[in-house]
Amino acid sequence: MEKSWKTYQSDGFYDESITTNGNPRAAASQAIKFLQSLSSEELISRRTAAELAIKEMGISFTVYTEGGNIDRAWPYDFIPRVITAREWSQLSAGLLQRSRALNCFIDDAYNRQKILADGIVPAEIVLESSNYLSSCQGVSPVFGVWAHICGSDVVRDHKGQFLVLEDNLRVPSGVSYMIENREITKRVLPELFENYSIMPLDDYPLKLYQTLAALSPRARRRPNIVVLTPGIFNSAYFEHAYLAQGMGVELVEGDDLFVGSDDCVYMRTVDGPTRVDVIYRRINEDFMDPEAFRADSELGVPGLIRSWKAGRVAIANAPGAGVADDKVIYAFVPEMIRYYLNEKPLVKNVPTYLCMLEKDREYVLNNLEKLVVKPANESGGYGIMVGPHSSKETHKQFAQLIESNPRNYIAQPTLALSTAPTYVDETIQPRHLDLRPFILQSKESWVTPGGLTRVALKQGSLVVNSSQGGGSKDTWIVEDKA
Amino acid sequence: MSMLSRVAERLYWMARYLERTEDTARVVGAYNHLIMDIPKGAEPGWDIMVQILDAHWEFEQRFRAGNEQNVLKFLVSDTSASCSIPFSIEAARENVRTTRDVLPEETWELVNELSLFARDVAPASVGRRHRHAFLAEVITRCQTINGLMASTLTRDHAHSFIKLGRLVERADMATRMVDVGARDILGRDGRFAAIDPLLWAALLQALSAGSAYRRQVGPLVDRSAVVNFVFLDASFPRSVKFCIKGIGEELVRLKGHEEPLRLVGRIWRRLNRLTNQEMTQEELHAFIDDFQQQLNELHSSIQDAWFQAARS
Repeated sequence: MEKSWKTYQSDGFYDESITTNGNPRAAASQAIKFLQSLSSEELISRRTAAELAIKEMGISFTVYTEGGNIDRAWPYDFIPRVITAREWSQLSAGLLQRSRALNCFIDDAYNRQKILADGIVPAEIVLESSNYLSSCQGVSPVFGVWAHICGSDVVRDHKGQFLVLEDNLRVPSGVSYMIENREITKRVLPELFENYSIMPLDDYPLKLYQTLAALSPRARRRPNIVVLTPGIFNSAYFEHAYLAQGMGVELVEGDDLFVGSDDCVYMRTVDGPTRVDVIYRRINEDFMDPEAFRADSELGVPGLIRSWKAGRVAIANAPGAGVADDKVIYAFVPEMIRYYLNEKPLVKNVPTYLCMLEKDREYVLNNLEKLVVKPANESGGYGIMVGPHSSKETHKQFAQLIESNPRNYIAQPTLALSTAPTYVDETIQPRHLDLRPFILQSKESWVTPGGLTRVALKQGSLVVNSSQGGGSKDTWIVEDKA
Repeated sequence: MSMLSRVAERLYWMARYLERTEDTARVVGAYNHLIMDIPKGAEPGWDIMVQILDAHWEFEQRFRAGNEQNVLKFLVSDTSASCSIPFSIEAARENVRTTRDVLPEETWELVNELSLFARDVAPASVGRRHRHAFLAEVITRCQTINGLMASTLTRDHAHSFIKLGRLVERADMATRMVDVGARDILGRDGRFAAIDPLLWAALLQALSAGSAYRRQVGPLVDRSAVVNFVFLDASFPRSVKFCIKGIGEELVRLKGHEEPLRLVGRIWRRLNRLTNQEMTQEELHAFIDDFQQQLNELHSSIQDAWFQAARS
């Protein structure tokens, strides 16, 4: 047994696999026992095998740096994270509920604007948001759904309770890594599976396909679906190719498509133009159509928005869906659930202070050292200040940023994120985690069984983003032992 | 230049054994992958692989229980079991050893390396830890050998008999997999219906057909679409139809092909009648049974037409 198991202790945090008195939790116990039976040398050899598998499978992601783009091997920790099916069913119901409410909200924001008129959500934060695309007003996508694919970031607090940290409604990525992590574990630690019934993940591409196919404006047995990528320089290109292959559809770039005089979208093929029914776009909305948004975009398709508005092509996620992907709007999601669905929220938000509100702002400015401050509109963990881990200098800098643009900042208490055993520096240590499940919604809705677990590899760090040195884990939803 | 009957026969068997090696490795690999995704109690037994290879008798001579350990020992490391991977590799090697003169130079070396690799590594690959790597390596090595022949072998008699052997074996294995797989899935009577797609997907994976299927048919896997694809897709090189067509093409080039060609024609017509039929499990099984019998007859007629001369 690697001796660091014996001294393993996650002080003051909820550890998902090991209780405070050092015993494995029931659901994780078989896996932990097996891992404890492995010698230090054996652990090293498993890690080496995992690194090799990742290289051989070509699982990579791109990091943008000043010196150019670097393709890095995917960071993976071989100790799986175990969640029971019972805990999971509550969370997944909560995520479906959220996705429904968010879609009601987006649809409302571009149409009747009831929630604004009723004063539940302040009109100015919606209408003045840079994510609010007024050109989308009056559009009614089929099923009233704008955000067909949502990646919500979920954390567990010191009691193990699940909280939603944010909802990514633009082009959430990570799902291919979730599936590949399972694949790697199967290869590297196949013995672990012997005593478990783990919910499989492979059917995500099928569910995605069905979600997209239901949007087709033409009734066809096999609608023409494409995945629209910005190209090989994008950090998630691996995933774009992975999903296209998994669905058996074309992976296209802007140049491969054009809008005809009939307002339909076509792809250029060796057999001539072929009409496209559904576009799964993995390109930011500003770049989608130089005619409608950024004129300097070379990645988009001129006329795409025109075609979409005319109902000739479906786009997922719909342009404009990003309006709800804003950390200020996030604070109102529980209200949306009550307002649109007349239900009680099943998963909680993290308490959020809106710097645009005077009272909140005052509190934030006086307590910067305790809080996490986030820009309303960034993703990938950029522009965040973790108060307790930052210098006075940085606090001052953020105080200025907040005062000059209060609408653009929110703050949340620094959470005692849960931990799980992680293999770091050839020892077993507790590390903080988050989880990104993916929620699909069109005619039917569905949540991935589990999600992508990201883990902060630095001791005490809360930053899990892979672009900032975070790792990942295979996530198991396991049937509770009868 | 003509070819000795004896040499033709050996090439034919070399190709069959090489294909059998690869296909067996694929079946074991796909099942090994599948088993980790299925809730305990819902999985097909490990001995389903023994059924696919039609080897109960041999298995029961050696083992009592059809559990993971025994089945894997039987298929991966038992050099004497006639359906094991090492056995097929040795048989392929023996046939190459005596036909080296008509094959590209590197063939012998590659086959020999494959045999050394299997002897070295197979015994330690029964357990889960190293199983995947072993199977993946066997598949790659088989494909290397096939690739070498595809790109350097003169299209003469040697090529024809190798191709015949490979395609007969491939069609044989594909139909067995569908037969046994379908029987298992349908024998469940809808119990664990949620995992049916996983089982069909594993079947496609065993045939290396996943990606081709998704592009041709779509990501939804169900029985009739899978059966249709495996049997009838005209462009996928591992489909039954593709194999039979290839056999026909090779036969036409050989002198004395009348009887084998007649039998291929019969199989071909039968296959085409299958088009888009919804079949019950019994009908499917009867069809495959019949198909296998005809394939056996075809094999015998190839033997009679060209290899018998070696013995008379």
